[in-house]
Amino acid sequence: MSDVRPDEEAVRDAAPNETSAEADAGAVDEGDADDVPPHRARSRSGRYDSDRRQGTPYTESQVIMPTVKIVAPFAFTYGLFITFHGAGSPGGGFQGGAIMAAVVFMIAFAFGIEATRDWLANTVVVALAVGGALAFAGIGLIPVARGGAFLQYDLLPIPVKYGLESVEVFGIATIVTGVLMGLFFLLARGFASEGTGFGEGGGDESEEDATDETGTAANDADGVGGDLGPSGSDRTPAADGGER
Amino acid sequence: MTLVDATVVAGYTVGDFLLLAAAGFVVLAIGMLYRAVKGPTMQDRVLAVNVLGTNTVVILAILAAALSEPTFLDIALVYALLNFLMAIAISKFTVERGGVL
Amino acid sequence: MTGTSLLAAAAGNLLPTVTPAAPVPAQVTAVEGSLLAFVVLTALATALARDVLAAVIVFGAYSLGMAALYTFYRAPDVALTEAAISAGVTTVLLLLTLAKTTRIDHDVAFESVNVPAVGAVGLLFGGLLLTMGDVPAVGSPDAPVWSNPDVTQWYLSESYAQTGVDNTVMAVLAAFRGFDTFGEAVVVFAGGIAALIVLHREVFA
Repeated sequence: MSDVRPDEEAVRDAAPNETSAEADAGAVDEGDADDVPPHRARSRSGRYDSDRRQGTPYTESQVIMPTVKIVAPFAFTYGLFITFHGAGSPGGGFQGGAIMAAVVFMIAFAFGIEATRDWLANTVVVALAVGGALAFAGIGLIPVARGGAFLQYDLLPIPVKYGLESVEVFGIATIVTGVLMGLFFLLARGFASEGTGFGEGGGDESEEDATDETGTAANDADGVGGDLGPSGSDRTPAADGGER
Repeated sequence: MTLVDATVVAGYTVGDFLLLAAAGFVVLAIGMLYRAVKGPTMQDRVLAVNVLGTNTVVILAILAAALSEPTFLDIALVYALLNFLMAIAISKFTVERGGVL
Repeated sequence: MTGTSLLAAAAGNLLPTVTPAAPVPAQVTAVEGSLLAFVVLTALATALARDVLAAVIVFGAYSLGMAALYTFYRAPDVALTEAAISAGVTTVLLLLTLAKTTRIDHDVAFESVNVPAVGAVGLLFGGLLLTMGDVPAVGSPDAPVWSNPDVTQWYLSESYAQTGVDNTVMAVLAAFRGFDTFGEAVVVFAGGIAALIVLHREVFA
């Protein structure tokens, strides 16, 4: 296991750059195939979402990935439409935010949850949720500062209709999107099984994923893997490498 | 007078027939529900729920036409776009019990 | 606009959708009846399925029927929410949770029914059914939820004039009941934080 971990950390550090390159869809990862099991190296060599970035036993599908590539932009645009057009048709911030979060789920299922986790950093998720709550409260408090009541739209410097829409768009939609994406990543990672989990297992935000990943993996491999069931669905990279 | 309100036969309008067609699709959905509940394997259930989703898109579209509410098509669109997500989520989950999610 | 009249209005809106039974049998159309049958069957199957994964799948089917039912009752906003949340979010989150837990392979397909519990629930349900005779029919123009001049009619006549928004539901949610919606948004936000605490994590991603 110890011979795998430095490599994993290197992979984790390199991950954001590769993820940004992923948008080109032409980025090809070669090399680093020495620690890849033969059957996986054969089937997935050269793919940008190979397990060099994944670190998890992940089976890609030649059907799901292109379909998601085609569907995701339309679904995301449709979520934006539902959000922004809530004043004129059924819909609104909650529904549109849920659809936009579902697009992220879709991408995660197609290209791997870990890769999506690297792509959408914790900062983005938290900024969406917190920013939404702050925006809603801020829009509500502007009329209070002007001597009115909370959310008294006619005291806003914009027309009432746009006041409502800004609440829906900047408040509700962002909160829902952020929290749902956060719940998804959170549930995908599961329970932090060591101790209290506060201050030791999760890793500081500044250290980000490298410490977090290996720390959690080491703990999982240390015997709490029984929580994960007998089917060997232990998904953490270090434990995975250790078994081989 | 729109097309939906046009009388076809014996006082029944196009909208009535569309509603009847929607009811027929719901009956088909109940039939497919048997496979989703009984389905000996998970693959049966995945297929059944996929068919149910597509069926629902059709039902919603017919309802939108029958009720003369074009905005109801939005709901059908949401299902058309997201039903796929439910299918791939369940089908990937059935492999190694979520080990490959 | 008192609380009791609002409650009565809400009950009058909700109860007839629970059962296609006694009071207005002639008005249950084919679509309505078949959709209700579908929803009841899926709900029963979800409750009785022994395998959790099967229950999740059938629950997805249940939400499909509910969305169609909401659409038929001309509540597109609710139907849209049901569609987006159930098809996109709930199933996925439940599956992720299942992936983190153990699963026992069962021989039997359905739970065994606890007869006394079903009897108790049946008694309660029968008692509720007795009140159905006083509930106005679905879509009746005399129903309090529709004819109430202080609530529904006031919103319908005033929402565009005061907010300039076509969608009355959104006008009510974001403007007239804006503070409630703010509370809802904070509840969603707090739900995310609660999940962090329960799972002993410090970061989402």
